[in-house]
Amino acid sequence: MSAFAILLTAALLGFGIRNLRWLKGFAFAAILTAAFFALASPPISGYTADTLSAFFGRLMLLTLAAVILGETERINIVQTLFIGAAGFLLLQSTTLLAFVLAFETLSILSFILVARMQNASQAEGAVKLFIAGAVATGLIMLGLALFTLSGHPLNAPLNAPLGVLESIGLWVMLAGLFYKLTIVPMHGWAADSYALVRPAHAAILSGIAKTVVVVALFRLFDAWLIVSPLSINILLALAIATMTLGNFMALFQQRLGRILAYSSIAHAGYMLLAIAAVKSAYAPAGLLYLAVAYLFMQTALFLLLDRLGNGLSDLDLNDIKGLASRDRFAAFYLSVQLFSLAGIPLLAGFLGKAVALFAVVDAGYWPAALIALLNSALSVGYYAWIVKQLYFDDAKAKTRLTALTAAPAFAQLILLAGTLYFGIAAFSIFAVAF
Amino acid sequence: MNSIAVTILLLPFAGAAAAYLFGKWHKGLAFWTAEIVGIILFALTLYLYAGSTAAIDIDATWFTFGTISLPFGIYIDGLSIVMLLIATGLGMLDIHFAHDYMADDPDQARYYAKVLFFIGGMLLLVSAKEMTGLFVGWEFMGLASYLLIAFWYRKPAPADAGVAAFLYTRFGDIFLFAAIGLLFYFTRTLDLERLNAMAAAGAIDKDAAYVIALFIFAAAIGKSGQFPLFPWLMRAMEGPTTVSALIHGATMVNSGIYIVARLFDFYTAAGALIVVAGFAALSAVIGATGALVQREMKKVLAYSTMSHLSLAFLGLGAGSLAAGMTHLVNHAVFKALLFLGAGAVILAAHHTKDMFRLGGLGRTMPLVAFFMGMGALSLSGIPPFSGFYSKDAVLASTIIQSQTHGMIAVLGVIAGLLSIVYIGRLWMFIFAGAPRDRALFDSVRSPSKFWTILPLGIMALVTLILGFFQAPLSHYLTGQPVTEHHIEGLLPFLLSTLALLALLVYFFYGRRPDLTAKAAAQPLMKSLHQVLFNGYYIEAMITWFSKNIIIGAVAATAEWIDRRVIDGAVNGSVRAAQAAFALFSHTHGGKTGGYTGAMIAGAAVILLLFLIAGGVR
Amino acid sequence: MNPLYLVFGPILLSLIAYISPQGWGKYIALALFGFLMKSSITLYTLLPAHGYLMLGRYLRIDPLGFTLSLQVDQLSVVMLLLTALLLLLVALSSWSVAKNSNAYFALLILFAGPIFGVFMSTNLLWFFIFWELTLIPMFFLIGFWGAERRIYAAMKFFLYTHFASMLILLAFFLIRQQSGVFDMTLVRESMLATPTLIWWLLFIGFAVKMPLFPFHTWLPDAHVQAPAPVSVLLAGVLLKMGAYAMIRMGILMLPESAERFAVILLVIGLITLFYAALMALYETHLKKMVAYSSISHMGLVAVGIATLSASGLSAALFEMIGHALIISPLFLIAGFLHHRTGSWQMKEMSGLMQRAPYLSALFMLAGLAALGLPGTMGFIGELTILLSAIDAYGVVMALVAIGSILSAGYLIRSFRKVLHGECSPLLAQSDLRPDAALLATLVIFAALIVFFGLWPGPLFDLINPVFNGGAL
Repeated sequence: MSAFAILLTAALLGFGIRNLRWLKGFAFAAILTAAFFALASPPISGYTADTLSAFFGRLMLLTLAAVILGETERINIVQTLFIGAAGFLLLQSTTLLAFVLAFETLSILSFILVARMQNASQAEGAVKLFIAGAVATGLIMLGLALFTLSGHPLNAPLNAPLGVLESIGLWVMLAGLFYKLTIVPMHGWAADSYALVRPAHAAILSGIAKTVVVVALFRLFDAWLIVSPLSINILLALAIATMTLGNFMALFQQRLGRILAYSSIAHAGYMLLAIAAVKSAYAPAGLLYLAVAYLFMQTALFLLLDRLGNGLSDLDLNDIKGLASRDRFAAFYLSVQLFSLAGIPLLAGFLGKAVALFAVVDAGYWPAALIALLNSALSVGYYAWIVKQLYFDDAKAKTRLTALTAAPAFAQLILLAGTLYFGIAAFSIFAVAF
Repeated sequence: MNSIAVTILLLPFAGAAAAYLFGKWHKGLAFWTAEIVGIILFALTLYLYAGSTAAIDIDATWFTFGTISLPFGIYIDGLSIVMLLIATGLGMLDIHFAHDYMADDPDQARYYAKVLFFIGGMLLLVSAKEMTGLFVGWEFMGLASYLLIAFWYRKPAPADAGVAAFLYTRFGDIFLFAAIGLLFYFTRTLDLERLNAMAAAGAIDKDAAYVIALFIFAAAIGKSGQFPLFPWLMRAMEGPTTVSALIHGATMVNSGIYIVARLFDFYTAAGALIVVAGFAALSAVIGATGALVQREMKKVLAYSTMSHLSLAFLGLGAGSLAAGMTHLVNHAVFKALLFLGAGAVILAAHHTKDMFRLGGLGRTMPLVAFFMGMGALSLSGIPPFSGFYSKDAVLASTIIQSQTHGMIAVLGVIAGLLSIVYIGRLWMFIFAGAPRDRALFDSVRSPSKFWTILPLGIMALVTLILGFFQAPLSHYLTGQPVTEHHIEGLLPFLLSTLALLALLVYFFYGRRPDLTAKAAAQPLMKSLHQVLFNGYYIEAMITWFSKNIIIGAVAATAEWIDRRVIDGAVNGSVRAAQAAFALFSHTHGGKTGGYTGAMIAGAAVILLLFLIAGGVR
Repeated sequence: MNPLYLVFGPILLSLIAYISPQGWGKYIALALFGFLMKSSITLYTLLPAHGYLMLGRYLRIDPLGFTLSLQVDQLSVVMLLLTALLLLLVALSSWSVAKNSNAYFALLILFAGPIFGVFMSTNLLWFFIFWELTLIPMFFLIGFWGAERRIYAAMKFFLYTHFASMLILLAFFLIRQQSGVFDMTLVRESMLATPTLIWWLLFIGFAVKMPLFPFHTWLPDAHVQAPAPVSVLLAGVLLKMGAYAMIRMGILMLPESAERFAVILLVIGLITLFYAALMALYETHLKKMVAYSSISHMGLVAVGIATLSASGLSAALFEMIGHALIISPLFLIAGFLHHRTGSWQMKEMSGLMQRAPYLSALFMLAGLAALGLPGTMGFIGELTILLSAIDAYGVVMALVAIGSILSAGYLIRSFRKVLHGECSPLLAQSDLRPDAALLATLVIFAALIVFFGLWPGPLFDLINPVFNGGAL
């Protein structure tokens, strides 16, 4: 009984349940069971559960539950369960082969997820995701091929010293993986896709899938990165480029989806920075913290947009003007999560960034940390700008927004609780990752 | 005695509060509160005077910050007691006089509260043992002066005059403030008597002492209306005349002289007296010449105050503490008399201050004319009035002193002699001749005997009697005898010149004012007149400097820098971010091909970097 | 008493105040601030003669040293007392806020928690958390209840100070990296290398908050646009946070660097003092003038801090308290006038004395205190800073006195323009009766200014042990 098996079974069975409410209840039961068995490893070689994967997996399940809670389409619920299963698999992967398999599964599930489109722009987003994904898969395969050429076994952990060819292979592979992480220059698709697909899908893609990939990647690669000092500088440079570009691009956007998309890219930069700080003993905690924080806040934001815009993806700043006077709870959720993204303390986003950047300083790269911090300050510019629309501007007479119903509001509460809890309770992260 | 001293210091402030509160309750009560407080104060001071054998010396710590303790003690010796007597005595008479003068004012509560507050400040100043207490009193007076000058704040002129008074004196005060810091740094004490002792013993670095002495003198210049910080004194005449009499004639303006006298040994040791003398001589002439041409009688008195305070400074500067201080005391009395006399005239003439509209008032108010005449004679230095003795002493000591012997003495003598001209002119214009404004003349009210004439009479009497007590006064004040330098021919020279000048004044202002007017119409005389009338344009220069240089250039530049450079950089960063945004946006056109190309190219670059760096491990 | 109540209590309470029935917010706020005042006094009575009073350690994360350790010493308690007092007075002066009053008071309450946290927390990271958290209520208070350009001001305030905070955070990380501890009471012993970079980062970070030239431009905008009571919070509490941090960390925690760089602080302080005074001299906008005056006084505080002596620091602390009490009534009156007349320009509101004599008298009293007239706290602050600065840096420091004439210049001029003169048409048609709560607040401020100006002894008894107790 592993979480993967439970979720996969539930997803397959879920096809058969016609009633939405029944399906939801079933999904919650599955998620609860999966959470219970999160520490059990699946009976497949290369996949081992440990406290880290269990911890993050459970949090992922929590956010998936929140997604499902607010979801109105059956098929999406089923797919969410699939993604949960693939996510667990990815989190538990300990070899290159296992990792690539799980990763590709997740990618394909993402394509399927966004393939459920309602209008032309969502189609555009889906296509972009697909094309970019295809290129990335190509790169990963190329890297894998190069790696194989060296004769190093694919199904062994990456802790032994590696030769040139293995290293080159891994780098090419990483380049492909960075696509999922939206690292510059592999970020272009994300800005469009996240903004164009349905926000609920974007929540899964950017909030859940991305953090799962990043945690799994670090879990697999950190041993190699430690012994490969040269790679650190490249990672630092990419991280800085990513966060800077993301933040600057987000600054003057009008559409909320796009702002969040670029903010997602910027956060990928912070996460990559934490990966680059691998030499520090605090790097795992930092990265995990960032991922956990991001999991809650990004998912919450996209879900909220999804519900406010009723599945439409083209809400812009004008639409949410004066939201606070109309729906003060929605505005409250939105602004708390935005402040968390901005790195305001007592919210998870701050401690995530703080621990991660402390790891960077601890590893000796304080200029990079400084740039990251300044980037973070810059990001306040656009986050606070959204908050400004919510609270300081007057509401327009006509609005495209729909009111928040009980279920999505409850989902928001769950995610808010996560953001608040991890804004204080750093010990739970350190218990797992230090 | 100590408790009396403390009572004297606290009573005015309590009285001020009481006067205000009672005055708010019932208008008339403000006056009576002030009057009673004034009388009690004077009585207590007299008691202090009568009972004083040794100086009262109370030590007290004000507060301690960090490792430094600041004291706030009381020290009352002969010098202080005389200053106390002046302040309380004249204060009492002034309050008494104000009963009529301020009778119509709706804001009496405010007025008497401020006057009592002023008296409190003055008493604090002269009883302070240390620089701290002195500075507190000094600034309290400055505040009271500001508030009282701007008493009629609705009108622009008094309000502006208040601003000028505050800022001019404050400008001087910052030097005093700095001097406190410097004194503490060099001597670790702020005790005035100890400073004197230390300086006399040579325990203070002479250069430091010199600079500090000059700093303190700068404050004295501001407060006592000396060159170049005098213009506020003339503008202060916008305030009620009772205020001018008390603050800007008799008491507050003395504080500059008081502080130099108090630190006389310090000044002597620092070798700064010559500077005092130099400024004093210059100011004396400026004041005396300025007084010659004013139209407003209060302005004449203001310039004359400046000039006579300069003479007191001159006495100090010439090294004669006794001459300076006796002149200060004498001047306080006759100047208060003259100011209140002018006040009586102004009140009678329905607030007409312009002398050119008066004339012949001697017939309607002979007592006022008589008492003011006594004051004028005292001011001019006619024996046996007190003014004669001290002025003579000042001039004599200036001439004898080798340092001040030359130009300074000449200027001093000129200023001393000119006093009869301007005060004679004033008296003639007001009281002699034919009335110039008939309607005004006919409507003149006769002043009240008790409220108006009585104080004048008392002061006139005092200025006469004081003349016979100069030696004891001087001894009491300074422990020194009056300077009686018998210089061959000085006295005859002074007296005969005075007589001559008196005749000229009588002729030009009393008999033939038409000739004067004709002479004044000459182009040369006219421009000279303009220069004198405007106080040598000192105020214009200072105003121009502060308006155009300090605000117009320095502050404006700072503002420009702030707006354009410093805040400009802050706001500019937003534009820079916008530019960066635009730059990045070019690369994000939404074309999938471009993205894909970027991805592949990016991967290639990463790989290349890796290879160039040479990289395994 | 659990100290967490002081720190997190207000944060939770703010939520309650927000959703409580309309109009209850103000009472909740007042009760809370009273409680905070009482607790601060209790803390004062509990203080040991030297060093810290340990209140508790919470949320321990030993590997990182990230632990909420709440400790107070004399310095923090002085700041707590000041903060509690100001919060009470701010609540009182906000009594008539009509627009969304529950939210307003909820934000005031929300502000109280972090500000207490700042002064109580000795863990650098937690200090930073509270430090940053104060921005959020301020952002909303300025942005929602502010004047015309409130949004610009709120954004500028938020971004500017947040940028500065990032430098502080980096400095804290570097301290932790080099000393191995996050606790400011231990840093001094554990720090190995001479932290030039750290000092600069901290200096700039705190200089923005204080604010010192050239990092001051957020302040005039924030102050002008903020509602008057919020200006009081800004000037009285938020700026003091910067000065507190400068003393606590720039000086006490890093004494070696402090000695090396004190001259920089001194020069910057002097520049701020004069520069801001000149700006105020040029200003015709009433509240902006007060804001620049506020900056100028913080320059004086910086000079006091730069002396590094017990006397100078005591003087600086006194001036901090004095500045809070003096500048607050000025802001309140300026805000009140704008609220009632709609104008900011001094020349448009001449003759206030006739319309509102008591308000005018209070304005004048506070203004006189700001220009350092004896008998007020302003004088004591200036005098003590002058003495200690000359003591520490020699006769050149007599320059400090120049500040007094500049401040006299702009303040006396403002009296002339606003209070004196003929009643302007604008004032004549405005309702200028202040509400009782505001008047009471102003009177309390005035009473404190005069009381401690005449008898600074009691306050210095409170302050002196802070630096005499061997903290230096």
